[in-house]
Amino acid sequence: MTASPDTSDHPVIGLDEVVHQRVRLGILAIGHEARRVEFGYLRDQLDLTAGNLSKHLSVLEAAGLIDIEKGYEGKRGRTWVTLTPAGDAALAAEISRLKVLIARVEEKT
Amino acid sequence: MLSDVRALTGQVRRDQRRTWVALSVLAAATLVAIPFDLLFMWVRCDDTGCMFGRQGLFYYWPAALLIAYAVIAVSYIRAARDRGVGTRVLPYAITGAVTAVVITAVSLAAAAWFPDNPPFDGGPMPYWWIVLDRLVLPWGLIGLALLVLARLERHLALFWFTVGYLVLVLLVVPTNEGIHVPFVTDPALQLRLSTVLPQLIVAAALLAGAIGFHRARPGQR
Repeated sequence: MTASPDTSDHPVIGLDEVVHQRVRLGILAIGHEARRVEFGYLRDQLDLTAGNLSKHLSVLEAAGLIDIEKGYEGKRGRTWVTLTPAGDAALAAEISRLKVLIARVEEKT
Repeated sequence: MLSDVRALTGQVRRDQRRTWVALSVLAAATLVAIPFDLLFMWVRCDDTGCMFGRQGLFYYWPAALLIAYAVIAVSYIRAARDRGVGTRVLPYAITGAVTAVVITAVSLAAAAWFPDNPPFDGGPMPYWWIVLDRLVLPWGLIGLALLVLARLERHLALFWFTVGYLVLVLLVVPTNEGIHVPFVTDPALQLRLSTVLPQLIVAAALLAGAIGFHRARPGQR
């Protein structure tokens, strides 16, 4: 998951299903750029329901790719998501594989 | 999928930025500096010419820069937290604090060394020296720190604004020598007033940038 793509294999082989899913890739991309991102921001940006987003966050948390921190600001509950080092590495590997895949497709056309 | 990732990261970057706040604070700091500069400047004139020292720069700018970058950092952090994202402003604030140390060190070194060892034996100074002198003045260092902010935020518009700003303060506006004020015949008063216009120009440039970035900011969600 964290290794750089091996160009001898077809890049599709190395795609990680946990990361490759569109919404989860979006969560990782936003989390990487924002460093720390709040649940409501993710929900708005990815245009998801709270329940749907929670499911995807659980998958990523179970895979060790994100940390979830719950707290309060005043009386308002807020949930913050931070990428773990494994999450950063998984995102970088996924993007590398996608770029290799695109390059292969463009080579053949 | 890659274009989705790019679009999402671009949106996060836009939501993290508070460029107009940074430029407004720095413009305000530049404007407030003017009375300090005038108040603490010493001028001694005799038959051979005038000598002057801008002590106000030394008294005002180190503290002003520390306060300005602290205000900018707090503003960024609060806005980012309200939006629900983290921020990248801390390295910029640290760079700003370092510039305050640089100004202090350069001022102390110049005050200790140059009176007995005038650069180039008191003769005409080469252009590169004049530009270097402008670079270590507060307005040049503000530009250098803005380059750091542009890099941190991957903000191309801020990068080009800063390049233009640095050209202005290093090559166009004589921030170290002053601009001659017409109709003022008293040499001491001329020296004092000549420092005002460059600072007003720098403040106007920063303020224009602040207004431009404020107008161009993404709509509030």
